[in-house]
Amino acid sequence: MQGKVGVFVSIGIVMAEQVKKEQAVSGVPMVTATIDGREVTVPKGTTVLEAAREMGIHIPTFCWHPKLKSVGACRMCYVEIERMPKLQVSCATEVMEGMVIQTASEQVLQGRKAVIEFILLNHPLDCPTCDKGGECDLQNHTFAHAVDDSRYSFKKARYTDGTDGTTFDDKRLGPEIVLNRNRCILCYKCVRANKEAFGEYDLGVYERGNIAEINSAPGHEVDNPFSGNLVEICPVGALTNSDWRYKIRVWLTQTTSSICNMTSSGSNILFYKEKNHNKIYRVTSRMNDSIDDGWLPDVSRYGYQIATTEERLKTPLIKKDGKQVEATWDEAMTVIHNRFTEIAEKKGKVCLGGLASPYLDNDSLHSFNKLFRTVFKSNNIDFRSDYRMLPEGADSPYEMLVDQPFTIADIDDSDLIISFGSDLIREHPNEYLRMRKAYNFKRAKVVSINPYAVKSADIAELEVIHSIGRAETVLNGICLAAMEMGLVNNQDLTGKIAPATTAEAASDAGVTEDDLKEVARAISSAKKISFICGEMVSRSIARDTIASALWNLYLLFGFKDKGQMAILPRYANSRGAGSLGLLPSPSDGLRNTLSGLWGCFPESDPNNTDAMLALMRKEEISGFFIIGANPLMLYPDRQFVTDGLERLDFLVACDLFETDTTELADVVLPLSSWAEYDGDYVNLEGKVQHARQAIKPLYQSKPAYEIITMVAEKFGAPLFESIEACRKEVDELLSMTHSTKFPSQFLEVKPCYEDAEEEYPTPLLICDDPHHCGHRTEKSQSLSNFVSEAYIEMSPEKAEKLAVKDGESVRVESPVGKIVVPVRISDCIDNNVVLIPRNFASTQVTSLLMRKRRLDRVKITKVDE
Amino acid sequence: MKEVIKAIGNVFISMPKGLFVTFKHLFIKPVTLDYPKQKNPMSPRYRGKHYLERYDDGTERCVCCGLCAAACPADAIYMEPDETEKGERCAKVYEINLLRCIFCGFCEEACPEEAIFLGQEYEFSAGDRDSFIWTKEEMLVQHPRKDNPLKRVIRRVRKVYGVTDKVK
Ligand code: SF4
Ligand code: SF4
Ligand code: SF4
Ligand code: FES
Repeated sequence: MQGKVGVFVSIGIVMAEQVKKEQAVSGVPMVTATIDGREVTVPKGTTVLEAAREMGIHIPTFCWHPKLKSVGACRMCYVEIERMPKLQVSCATEVMEGMVIQTASEQVLQGRKAVIEFILLNHPLDCPTCDKGGECDLQNHTFAHAVDDSRYSFKKARYTDGTDGTTFDDKRLGPEIVLNRNRCILCYKCVRANKEAFGEYDLGVYERGNIAEINSAPGHEVDNPFSGNLVEICPVGALTNSDWRYKIRVWLTQTTSSICNMTSSGSNILFYKEKNHNKIYRVTSRMNDSIDDGWLPDVSRYGYQIATTEERLKTPLIKKDGKQVEATWDEAMTVIHNRFTEIAEKKGKVCLGGLASPYLDNDSLHSFNKLFRTVFKSNNIDFRSDYRMLPEGADSPYEMLVDQPFTIADIDDSDLIISFGSDLIREHPNEYLRMRKAYNFKRAKVVSINPYAVKSADIAELEVIHSIGRAETVLNGICLAAMEMGLVNNQDLTGKIAPATTAEAASDAGVTEDDLKEVARAISSAKKISFICGEMVSRSIARDTIASALWNLYLLFGFKDKGQMAILPRYANSRGAGSLGLLPSPSDGLRNTLSGLWGCFPESDPNNTDAMLALMRKEEISGFFIIGANPLMLYPDRQFVTDGLERLDFLVACDLFETDTTELADVVLPLSSWAEYDGDYVNLEGKVQHARQAIKPLYQSKPAYEIITMVAEKFGAPLFESIEACRKEVDELLSMTHSTKFPSQFLEVKPCYEDAEEEYPTPLLICDDPHHCGHRTEKSQSLSNFVSEAYIEMSPEKAEKLAVKDGESVRVESPVGKIVVPVRISDCIDNNVVLIPRNFASTQVTSLLMRKRRLDRVKITKVDE
Repeated sequence: MKEVIKAIGNVFISMPKGLFVTFKHLFIKPVTLDYPKQKNPMSPRYRGKHYLERYDDGTERCVCCGLCAAACPADAIYMEPDETEKGERCAKVYEINLLRCIFCGFCEEACPEEAIFLGQEYEFSAGDRDSFIWTKEEMLVQHPRKDNPLKRVIRRVRKVYGVTDKVK
């Protein structure tokens, strides 16, 4: 046990602190040592380096990283320890009782100087052309140790292949990464991070000794969705990315702390912008141990390019004679006012509706809500535009589960992590890395329950692949197995769920009985569980049924005392939008608070996105205001959405760039990206984080909050006196202690299956590409360097059956539409399922989907040339 | 009476003495120059208008590392890097604002690539402010070049830094 704790402790200063507090209580032995004449007491297993850092003593390093295991590859962190004959590497030496350590003695400095001299033997020192210059550890340490000359008088060894014998050696390892092997100091940080933290094997060390080199695995590119981190952690300029390469010098930049707008965990980032220019040059991580652990998925790192792309909308556009022409803000506002008033007078105010994007900040969402509820007196408002919906109530089992508390950092100390209905790499990359960390450092047990073989399941001890569309049966089966095996005493569930026995459930769900029993056993024996549910639950039309089954599991195994279970929201501020009541029918508590704040709350019928679209088709909603959202690209059944939007009298759409939806709009307003204004976002844990303004709004764009308040002012009903007033209301709403609700008793779960159709045999899954998120990232140059067009992912067997090869096009048909996409063959997909990413506008994948179906089924045929 | 004689003596003795000095200068080479018809050769270390060097094969020496701009006390240098077809670093934009420049020569000092030098030229008046912003194209020496007035200085500098390139 102590050994394991020891490994765990070595992962970081902050972590070490926490552990110390925990362990001082739990009785883990503490050791006392003297570092530079000062005494320090640390838990057994802490390394000398960490102990020193904790005391504020800086020991230079190259190969050490707080989140990786130590290897002692670079020898830069030498210290002198009494009674040890030679210098020791502090990053790999544990503190022992009574150690006396010198971190800056004459001998230590001499040793480090020698290490640098060795590293510099063959180092090209081409700092003028090196992108790391100015923030390079090697430069800094060389300078600090006054290594000013070399005693090596031979010609430096150089990799020169590929060019005409000059020292030039840049090698493209992947779509974004460039390696310069001459500069590499072989600290192995990149390879280790890739393997340990990300579970990717596309980068490795090849050859031995003097000719050892970092390279991509033969025949592979370094294109994993975390590859940007490798560039960030490389201590020298060996790994660079096209994003930052030869763009600007780091000392000319200024940083702004912000948070990521792509993932729902809200990774902490730094924007780098040039001092005198309104331009962002890159994004790096701002390590936050409770959220991102210092790793940024590529969507977070390169996602900022959606703000800097040339394709941004530059001015407001107004449709005149069927064509959108440039206009001023004043003109646009006048048109909006006139047309909305006209429609309201003709049909009554409830014929207006609004759709906001969950990427927007709290102020914008709240003001949008207020605009609709107080000025337009309408309950036709929503922020969800990417999944099928049914009419819903506030306290549905699903909504209750979405509201459950969840702490990302708690995944670390869970001993059982279950990912259910979630392809974590695609949906929640940060949580995926947490899961890997728990597995690596604490040997946590990972269970994956999914309808197809997701990539994140490679560390799973148990992978349950069930028939698609049978999620609730699997959950019922687990409950039944637990009851049958006597793992739980509670038998109240009997009769409420179907089928009645584990065996039946197993055969219904297409899994083995043993698997279900194994999961039940794992859950009942675990001490701390993290149960992560993802999009395959939240996007399913049967989400209430699945949520009920999840609640049964929750109650049966007593999750309340031993873990966390939540359906994780998908977008940067989904959770905030929910808590601010941006739903057609917010919960009673929220409703009361809102009407208290505003003095009124409309009585009209609440209509969610689906209902609004249906009403548009009936011409009962005639004016629509879309801010940041793109229903045409994301909402199931493109035809349905197009019909609805086209039948509108007046559509206002705001976005960063032209989208399918803005093309239909009568007035298009340019929206600022999140980097262009201050805003607060609520991450999936419910934590409010502040994103600072990095640059001024580009072109003529305006932040959503300003647009909304301008509209309100035009209607003669200013929303807030100032933005502070708005923030005060937001704070009040967010600080509302809405007690998380639990169902008091077991819920009935009657599985609803959809039968397969003969004509359309293959189930289709729509999800995000691992390098993309939502409808915007397509415009990021770096991200589209990874993947720039849609594909249909299928198993090798399926491809063989269809007689198609990788890259060949197939026609995908559903009862409502058809598209042609190239094939991508993947070992990671199975179970007769195929998968298409939804991030690419040109593919129009939503035209295959049907609104009221649980499963999308398609027919795939080869396209003959 | 005595004073009167002294004054007369001054007129007839001291004044012709002085005038003789003046007269003598009619036959001495003048120290002033008839600028702009005549020009003084500048000292080899004179710091005039900047120029950007090339390698012997004509490629630009400047790699746009930004050190000159960092060293410049007057913040006169602006640059934007770019990537050549070969993938090497080069300057896309390199501008010096001569109105800001104080001709301190720090940029020359800072340059690790021996690319920028302050030359001998000092005649750069212009009618508008924009013409004082010199671009890379204006500052790059011609290739192939006729001769380099600073050959000796550059050679000496290079020797100090241990660079053995031949200076054309
Ligand atoms: S890595 Fe780059 S900046 Fe650092 S010492 Fe080497 S050449 Fe210079
Ligand atoms: S590429 Fe960078 S991180 Fe990787 S081994 Fe070389 S120096 Fe270390
Ligand atoms: S001479 Fe001095 S002031 Fe002029 S550009 Fe160079 S460093 Fe700047
Ligand atoms: S940091 Fe300790 S050996 Fe590299």
